[in-house]
Amino acid sequence: MADVVVLALGLTVALLVLATILAARYGIWKEVSLSGARGIVQILILSSVIILMFNLPLYWSALVILAMAAVAGYTTFTRSGRLDRMLQAAVASIAVTSLAMLVPFFALGIFPLEPRYLIPTGSILIGNAMNVSSLAIDRYRGELRNRRAEVEAYLALGTTPRMATEHCLKQGILSALIPSIDNMKNLGLVWIPGVMTGMLLSGSDPVQAASIQVSIFIAIFLAGMIASSLLLYYATSAFFTHAMQLKDEAL
Amino acid sequence: MAGPHIELKDVYRTVSRRQGTDSASSAVLKGVDLTVYRGELITIMGPSGAGKSTLLRLINRLSEADSGVIRVNGRDVRDYDPRELRRRVGMVFQIPVVFKGSVRDNIAFGKRLWDTGADVDALAGEAAIPRELMDEDAAHLSVGEKQRVCIARALANKPEVLLLDEPTSSLDRAAAEKVEQLLVRLQSEHGLTMLWVTHEQAQARRISGYNYVLEDGQLCREHG
Repeated sequence: MADVVVLALGLTVALLVLATILAARYGIWKEVSLSGARGIVQILILSSVIILMFNLPLYWSALVILAMAAVAGYTTFTRSGRLDRMLQAAVASIAVTSLAMLVPFFALGIFPLEPRYLIPTGSILIGNAMNVSSLAIDRYRGELRNRRAEVEAYLALGTTPRMATEHCLKQGILSALIPSIDNMKNLGLVWIPGVMTGMLLSGSDPVQAASIQVSIFIAIFLAGMIASSLLLYYATSAFFTHAMQLKDEAL
Repeated sequence: MAGPHIELKDVYRTVSRRQGTDSASSAVLKGVDLTVYRGELITIMGPSGAGKSTLLRLINRLSEADSGVIRVNGRDVRDYDPRELRRRVGMVFQIPVVFKGSVRDNIAFGKRLWDTGADVDALAGEAAIPRELMDEDAAHLSVGEKQRVCIARALANKPEVLLLDEPTSSLDRAAAEKVEQLLVRLQSEHGLTMLWVTHEQAQARRISGYNYVLEDGQLCREHG
């Protein structure tokens, strides 16, 4: 067992070094190396405390999930270029949609209402909502920058910022959802997802494992789509002044 | 005599220009004064980066002046709802941007937005857009045709003022001449007040309006 730990950690470090060297070609070595190192430390700490968390009273799970949503929101906020009032919008959109998708699994009794189910399921939903939201806001900002002439052509005719940015917003959402849509298309063909794998390895019935997996999968997709839509909807006003002018500093 | 249609008093504007990761600010308008009466056509010349486009953008409030006053119909532009101001003060850009959809959809945009009752086919005819192009995808037009669509689209808003930001500079000579003649004709037919930014002195002379030059942040009337 100890040998496996050493080997796995050794391989992790070697792969991270390789990723950092390759990332240097694109000028992102610092972000890749720091994110990787941070991830390794965080997951090792989590592995030490997760069993402890599973044994705590249920309200602790709610707090853990809220903390996760706050961290996820902050990460997405940094991708937005730290736009005005976007921290609250990012946290709220990720938290509300993830919680809304979490509720039916426990209300319908698909999972028992216990921390060992609540925390991992919440983390899957929140993590994916964060990924989609970060991609969406980053792409939306890029679209506004690249299609500034189009946006201003709309504004010059007297449209609202929301009308002027409609195409950019749709492109932002679509681009952010491409990985999720591709995963959904290839579910079971190219990609065997984690929940199902875990259930199968622990001896569950394959049909039961597959049923739960697809419901989680669609919930993940929906959480990502709704969270990113809400975020971009609120983000639009942050890109404009009260006089409906594009803010240079936000782009 | 009625008061000025457009009036700029002591207008200042600084712009930031990004160079790589750095950005530098420079004052492009330093106390600009300008008075334009209803139905007048004025041209504004000046070297690249002099602030000609910036000046136009302040009038329909796509950008904000740092200080000074800009009035349209005697009313400060800041007192207008920005949307209503932009309906009254149309703009045609240097590089034409057509929206997704047909030529007809593009020209009818302002009509639908503002319910102006504009006659889309008549406007297309005035802008010399062939009838057979009306239901074509606007994205497939030539640059000159796109610019004519943009002009017709701006007119569908029934504006009082048209701001022209080098409307012919991205066109080839033949297309540029057509658009230039079209704009001069439309100005007189619609009684529009027009501010026309150009970097071509010859074009400014051909247009035969009041010619101004923007240099070192100051706007000066060109005589002769």
